[in-house]
Order: sequence, then structure tokens, then C-alpha cells
Amino acid sequence: MGRDLPVIKVDTVTELEHAVVEGVDISGHWNRMFSDRSTTDFPTEAMDWVTGLAGGESMRDCYQCGKCVPVCPVQHVGDYGPRKLNAKILRGNNLIDDPDLWLCTTCGNCYRVCPKEVNPLKIMPAIREQAVLEGKVPDELSDAFRNLQKSGNPMGESPRKRIDWIAEAGVDVPIISQLDRAVDVLWYVSDYTSYHPRGKDAARAMARVMTALGVDFAILGPEERSDGDSARLAGESGLFELLAEQNIKAFEKYEFKRLVVMDPHAYNAFKNHYPRLGWQGEVLHYTQFLAPLVDRLTFRSSVDLDVTYHDPCYLGRNNGEYDAPRKLLQAIPGIRLAEMPHTKANGYCCGGGGGGMWLDGFVAEHVSERLSERRVREAVATVGMDGSGVLSVACPYEPSRFEDAVKSTGNDGKLAVRDIIELIDQAMQPPAT
Amino acid sequence: MPETVLVIGGGPAGLEAARAIATIGGKALLVERRAVLGGTPDESNYAALTPRMGSAQEALDVLRAGVVDPNIDVRVETTVTGCSGSVGDFAVTLTGPAGETKEHVGAIVVATGFQHFDPGRETQMYGYYEYPDVITLPDAEKMLSEHRFVRPSTGEPPRNVAFIQCVGSRDRRLGNEYCSKVCCGVASKEAIEIRRLLPDTKVYIFYIDMRMYGYWENEIYWPAQEQYNVTYIRGIVTEIVGKDGRLLMKGEDTTMGRPLEVLMDMIVLSVGMEPSRGTRDVAGILGIEQNKYGFIATPGEPMDPVSTNVPGIYVAGAAAGPKDLEDTVGMAGAAAMRAVGAVRGLARSEAAVTR
Repeated sequence: MGRDLPVIKVDTVTELEHAVVEGVDISGHWNRMFSDRSTTDFPTEAMDWVTGLAGGESMRDCYQCGKCVPVCPVQHVGDYGPRKLNAKILRGNNLIDDPDLWLCTTCGNCYRVCPKEVNPLKIMPAIREQAVLEGKVPDELSDAFRNLQKSGNPMGESPRKRIDWIAEAGVDVPIISQLDRAVDVLWYVSDYTSYHPRGKDAARAMARVMTALGVDFAILGPEERSDGDSARLAGESGLFELLAEQNIKAFEKYEFKRLVVMDPHAYNAFKNHYPRLGWQGEVLHYTQFLAPLVDRLTFRSSVDLDVTYHDPCYLGRNNGEYDAPRKLLQAIPGIRLAEMPHTKANGYCCGGGGGGMWLDGFVAEHVSERLSERRVREAVATVGMDGSGVLSVACPYEPSRFEDAVKSTGNDGKLAVRDIIELIDQAMQPPAT
Repeated sequence: MPETVLVIGGGPAGLEAARAIATIGGKALLVERRAVLGGTPDESNYAALTPRMGSAQEALDVLRAGVVDPNIDVRVETTVTGCSGSVGDFAVTLTGPAGETKEHVGAIVVATGFQHFDPGRETQMYGYYEYPDVITLPDAEKMLSEHRFVRPSTGEPPRNVAFIQCVGSRDRRLGNEYCSKVCCGVASKEAIEIRRLLPDTKVYIFYIDMRMYGYWENEIYWPAQEQYNVTYIRGIVTEIVGKDGRLLMKGEDTTMGRPLEVLMDMIVLSVGMEPSRGTRDVAGILGIEQNKYGFIATPGEPMDPVSTNVPGIYVAGAAAGPKDLEDTVGMAGAAAMRAVGAVRGLARSEAAVTR
């Protein structure tokens, strides 16, 4: 038997797609002999149950055309497909004990093309919420939920350490509780931007760019909590509401004109979900805030890079902002912008959304490779052929995800991962001598 | 009281309605926007007609001959631009080459038809305006009516061709929730024509459900499959991207539950029906109700498919929604009978509306 034959993973069992033993082809599914040959019932309870959940209603509407399948990022790396969820539920599987429940990243690309408008962005959180209530949550996701509950961030870091990055910013970063006055911009820094080593680079760059522009800004500092959007999409709506309550309390304490956020997930939460919880105001992703100010940015060096841009699902497809990030990139001297085949509305998910950020280990058991790895291969094919390629991003989930993927796909040295704000900051510095 | 029935539209529905009106002793005034009669089958260069594969032009010639009649006044390059009055006496304004004229008619038959869905519409990812080898059913008709079928990019015959069904139909997001009814049959008919012309070309039809009702099943679908070896794959295509001068279609083979990524030389989009510009305009001018898709509403369905909400105004053919030619011509006869009845003051013709 050749070792190079295609391999299928079913739960924890690994099997060869084609197995030939002593000249006899014994290819087949490992469990075929244990299952009934005929389907003897099509129980309708599972579909009734799913569509009875608030958010689950559209699951029944699928007419099995299959348009969702080729655009589903998870489909590219496994057996999963949005259409198949409907087929499974129609055959009595309510997904509660099915790994498929946790594979959807809520990227929204299936919903974009669905002629019946079946919406997994609402269906998956609704079913996951029931799994959460039953305690059937993958361990690593449970850990993230616990951390969010305890310390207001998924890493379980102390809220006091939220401002540790400031020390190396090189500019003054005012904390709103210490200002005692209204500001123009309340800058919501986000979890990964505040705590993650690579995220902090973006925070510092943003602080320097806003300072150079003379923006009147401040941050919440230790009062800031996770926006909770990914917890919501992963099924923890109670936790989302708790975090939202804490953030809204902080927002209401201070006077500011607009909220500028680093994280598209926070943008989505504040813009689309906080209003029903009692807070409404102007929210801008940082690229949207900076794009109209682009003429005021003073660039002092040319970066000379081939850059492609990864549309974050919750900035692009799910909130319709494709232009602001590109406008910023095109303004940076020396950048040659090239688009990947999956771009804008058809952008390929990094795998981090909808709780995927905290399910890497679980998901790896059910897919042939990570979504971030596929995306990195696409970026390398677009700009990474001569070693000067950059995959630019605008979401704090992505630098760590994609940098890991660059290493794991053996593309070290071919592709750098940079937040757009880091590229702007770099070009605003004097040329390196 | 004017005895004339105004028939708006010189396609199959209008031609047959005018002929039927004259046949039962009425007078018809037939107006047509274009300089020639024949409607969409003519304008969109139909080759053979579904299901019996007869020539479209020969069939239209029969209909055109039917309106050569002293009781039918045919005016081409003429549109209806105004209307007032009610059943028994409508005053209509016609605008034609000689300018505006006013006419009095007793009843009206609307036969303004449909237009093909524009596959460049938002959310369609088929690259119709990007790749020359992505064409539509009517684009294929044009070539087939000239007895050739080649890749527009090279002028060479394709090695393989795929039809993609339900383009612009059965789609809530596009607003066209209805099935366009004829595209499964028309695609199968074109597939047969391609296989006749190019026996070495492989022809595939990718579908969600094949909707071959009645005799279209045995007269078109089965022959395509059994005699012409057209390959039917259940599964629809989501996107088309150019690759090495060919077209890579990405979709799912839903029977096998596997994604498909197949290279094709040519792809034909089976575009559905939408109300024509004329249908939308005429509805406004006559003040008749349209349904949510813009087609003329027929509140008396299912037993009365031809009465509009305005007494004395009837509809025939695809102005009232997706129709095949059998339905269209049948409706034309029914509308003609009702319209002549209304002109002659027969109360029964309004029964369905007042009910």
C-alpha cells in the first residue's frame, strides 16, 4: 500500500480513500458494515426543533441546490457543506452532537449566494446556544468562554494588563477616566490588539498614526471588555450580553463623539447588536476612520512591497466595507497592490470567526488543513513568489493566525503578515538608514 | 360603441389573439413596437421550438399569415402611449411613424411578453460580461439558427459545453422567486441541436431539479438523454472563473455530495423570464395591476388566467408570467373570446372579475 494515497479523516479514525491489499481493492467506508442498509425513518422532530429556535427558522427553506458548497471555506478542507446541514437535520440529526456544529466560522459566504436566504449566521449560534446549555461544548471553547467571563478577554489576562502595550508606543495614549473631559474619538483597542504580542504592534502603530494626525482620542484602558461578538456567534449569547452590559456602562460614563475600533468583530457587535441592548452611536472601523484623512497622512519613506489584502469577513462581506482598506493601501508610497482570486465579497475566511479562534485544536481533527493555511497559499501564489510579498490584514485575529500558517505551510521568508496600520506607520517613519 | 379590440404586442400571443378575434367575427387593431411581427422568438433569433424541434420562423410565419385579414388593422413601429375610459369605450393614444393618433376601442388584450434575465445582475457570479465563452440561451439560439455553434473567443467548435439551469429564477435574493418554466426544456432542446451539429462535443446540463412537465418529459428530456447522450448532473454552479483560456466552473455534485471543479470550453446560462419593458410600461399606461414581480396580475386564477383587475382588459402570454408557447397561444384564444364578448356587452365575460 502506497503512503501517498489520499487520506480521509472520519472523527478520530483515519482511513485510506483507496485501499488495495494483496491485489484486492477493499476501498470503502470504515463503518459501512455497522450501519443499516436502508433508511427506515425520516424523523421530523430535529427540523421542527431547529426551526423552533429563535434564529433557526430559515434552516427548513433549503431546496438543496448546492450553491453554498463551492463558496464555503470549510468545504475546501473537509466533508462539511452548508447544504449537508439541512440534509442531516431532515434525517433526524439536530447537530448537537455533530462536529459540524462547530466547523462553521459564520463567514457568511454561503448566505451571500443562497437563493433561499438560508442564514447560518443566525442558525449556527441558535443551535450552539442549546449545545452550550447542555454543556456540550469543545473544551478549548469552554476555556475561552470561562476566560471571557472571568477577565473580559479570551486569554484570561488581567484587565489591568490591557494597557501594558502603551509603554512601548512612543507616544502618549490618554486613558479616558484620567482625562475628565470629552474627546472626539474613543478608541476601542480590542482583545488581541491589547494583549497579543503581534496585536500590540498594531495598537502602537495606531497610537502613533493618530497622534501624528492630531486626533483627539482616548482609550477605556482597564475598563474595556471584549466586544463579545465571537462568543455570541459561538453560542454564548448570555456571555455576550454580560460583556456588552459592561462595555455599554463604560461607554455611557464618558463623553465622546465616535467610537473607532480595531476589530471588525467589535465593529459588527457595536454597530449591529449593541443598539438592541441599549447603546447606539457612531462606530467606525479604523480603516473607515483613516480613509477620509488619507491626504493628511505625511509619508516619509517608501515601503517597496508587493501587497495583497485579506478582506475580514466581518468588515467586508458581512458589513460591506471593501474600499476603505484598499484606499489606505493604495496611498502608501511604494506599495503595489494585487488582489487574490478570492477577494471582496468572495473573500476566503481565515478560520477565526464564529468561535473558530478558540477551536483550532477541535477543528484540526475534522479538516485536512487550516483555513488560514489555504489562505496563505493563495497569498503566496499572488504576491509571495520573490520574497517581498506581504499579506495585509485589518483584523486583530489575523496576524497570529496567518503567521502560524506561513510557518506551517513552509513559506517562511516568502510572505510577511502586516496589519494595514503597521504599513502606514512604517511609511510615516523616516527611511531606515 | 366601438367594436374593435386593441391587441398590444405582435408576438405569438398578440398574433394569435388578433387572428382569433377576427375568426369569431370581431375587429382587431394590432400594434407592435418593432418594425416586424414575431415578438421575442423573432427578436431573440430562436432556432427550433421546444418540444417538437420545428423551425421557429416557419411557425411564426403561420402566425403572421393569420393576421393578414381585412378585419385586422396591423400597425408596426407603434406603441400605446395613453389610455382613458372603461370597458366598452377605451380612448387610446397610439404613437407611431406618423405621429400620435387617438383610437376608440371596446376592449384590450395585453400581449407585451417577457425579456430574458440579465445575467450581469448583482450576486450572479457567472462572468457573463467578463468571459466571451459564457453565453445565454438566446445567444446560443442565434448561433443555432445560423446552423453553427462555436466558441466566441476562438471561432472554433467547443470540445465541451455546460448548461447551467435556474439562472435568474427560483431566487429570493434576486427577487425572482418563480420557476421560469421553459428553461429546462429549452436547454435540453439546444443541447440536442448542439449534439446534432457537433457529434464530438460533450454536452452537460447542471440542474437543481429538471422540470419537464407533461410531454416535454418524453419529447425533449428523454431523447436528449437517450438518443443524444446529453449528460445531466444534479448540482448547480456557483461561480465561473477563467483558467488557461477555458472556463472553470465551481459547484457541487449534490448526488454524490462532492464539490465539482470542471473545465469547460463554453457555458450556456439558462436565463429565465422577467417582465419586458413593454409589459411594465403598458401596465402603467393602462392602469392595470402588476404582481410583485412586475408581471400583469391575473386575480381570477386558476379558472380565469386572462382577466386583469380592470374590466375589459385581458392579458395573454408571458406578460402574465413565465409561459411556454402552448400556454401562450391557448391564453391568446381565451383572451380573444373574452375581449370580443366584452365588446358585444356579454356580461359573462366579466364574471370572473366581479366574482
